[in-house]
Amino acid sequence: MTGFVDLYSENDTFLHRLDPRVKILSVLLLSLLAFVLSTLYSLVVLLAFIFLLLFLSRASLSRTWFALRFVLRFMTLIVILWPIFDSAGTPVWATLGPIKITEPAVWRGFTSAARVGCLACVWYILMFTTSQRDLVRALVRMGLRFDYGLTIAISLRFFPSFMATIYSIIDAQRARGLEFNRGGLIKRSRKYVAVLVPAVVSALRTADSLSLALQSRAYGAKARRTYLRQLKMRRSDFAALAIVTALFVVPFVAKYVFFVHI
Amino acid sequence: MIPKPSIDDERLAAFRDVDFTYEDGTEALRGITLDIWKGEHIALVGGNGSGKTTLAKHLNGLLTPTGGNVIVGEFDTCKEPVARLARTVGYVFQNPDHQLFCPTVTDEVQFGPRNFGLSDSEIAEKTDRALEIMTLDHLKAEPPMSLSLGDRRRVSIASVIATDPEMIVLDEPFTGLDAKEADELMRVVNGINREGKTIILITHDMRVVAEHSERVIVLAEGRLMLDCRTRKVFSESSLLRDSGLTPPPVSQLAHRLGEYGVSPETLTVDELAEEIARLMEGAK
Repeated sequence: MTGFVDLYSENDTFLHRLDPRVKILSVLLLSLLAFVLSTLYSLVVLLAFIFLLLFLSRASLSRTWFALRFVLRFMTLIVILWPIFDSAGTPVWATLGPIKITEPAVWRGFTSAARVGCLACVWYILMFTTSQRDLVRALVRMGLRFDYGLTIAISLRFFPSFMATIYSIIDAQRARGLEFNRGGLIKRSRKYVAVLVPAVVSALRTADSLSLALQSRAYGAKARRTYLRQLKMRRSDFAALAIVTALFVVPFVAKYVFFVHI
Repeated sequence: MIPKPSIDDERLAAFRDVDFTYEDGTEALRGITLDIWKGEHIALVGGNGSGKTTLAKHLNGLLTPTGGNVIVGEFDTCKEPVARLARTVGYVFQNPDHQLFCPTVTDEVQFGPRNFGLSDSEIAEKTDRALEIMTLDHLKAEPPMSLSLGDRRRVSIASVIATDPEMIVLDEPFTGLDAKEADELMRVVNGINREGKTIILITHDMRVVAEHSERVIVLAEGRLMLDCRTRKVFSESSLLRDSGLTPPPVSQLAHRLGEYGVSPETLTVDELAEEIARLMEGAK
């Protein structure tokens, strides 16, 4: 149950070793690149590159499939629906009543699907290879206030146990004879009050004891924080960042300065 | 190994070769076969992760076996909704905060009987009785969530008693209670048991097991290790040790004094005192 909340899997690949700040920046640049590129060919090349990186992250097949199948479903939907709503261009391949299926529209569907695929999958590389702790650490080093970073870290950390609490509450109320799947919509949704109230109360109790635990460990006593694990850029980090920057800048300049259709 | 019925012949639950595997592949129960008879006072013990709660959740259909079958009353738990089985088996969850949500204690206790569609007069009668048994009368109008942990637990137990089930499962009911509160709780539980209700007590407290339960079911890694009379369980310390459990101090002491003639089946302080007094009388 909890495994799929956090997609990260412990491994030792160059992607795992990369500085999380580099990974965040790279993923942002590659996402922007998906908007810069506008031909199907270039987007397919980018998608292939992203899949290669996903493969190199050595995430287990079942986990990769779990993450990818949503994207694939969405991409298929785009390919099917795009030509139905976009009838610009010629030649017309088929006419079904008011619907005209044109060749350029079909290709535009594939192009959009490839772009969406790039945008979604590139973030999976980050999630597969970066632990939540590293992610938060990177955000804090990039200027996020530490308290906010800690809040994000705690929310991520407690999400699985909060879900477990909700399942346990549902069990407890079913054991008292509550049937969630009976009655009309309004009656049914009202039954969820019996889940919502204990869930909120439990969450508040957890938050309360957590804040006590933080205070008892002198959280916030020192204005200037020090860190046990310092993020440090290594040569390989700079190299990776340089490569990704080039991957973004070259097509960008080609398109907007030299007007290459790419 | 399976004990004979204690009060009469009515069987409340039957497990036949039950396996249960969670979705993530964890095998929580393996080949469990046992019977539970009306009026029994059973302790379900075992280390953490041994399958106690998983087994108990099969009694009211919250979980259904992935192999074998579980019959409760006359129903196959796979084929009946939890709401139906809940009328036979009441389940008190480990954490009372996972069920309390009503504005007053009375509303909370009425929730179960209301779900079962009882008439208003029946609901009122059962609620009053449950509140009386758990001595909650003076807290009737209080919001349950603001009570102390001990009181919250008593409310959660009252809310199950009010549904008047044949069997009550108590999942680690002593967590967060002091010795006095725990003893008081056992006094109430024993009273309910004397009325002919079956009690299934999930606990780590071997002293309570020794003093109150008549039958002990020991689980380890999802397997049934032992299922027999309490006296026998604690007199066979090697069997217990294999399951990762430690007998209560009284049993251990009785064991050590075995060579002087103290019965290894001694369970309570009173019994041990009697044994020792008997031996000292004899020595005079």
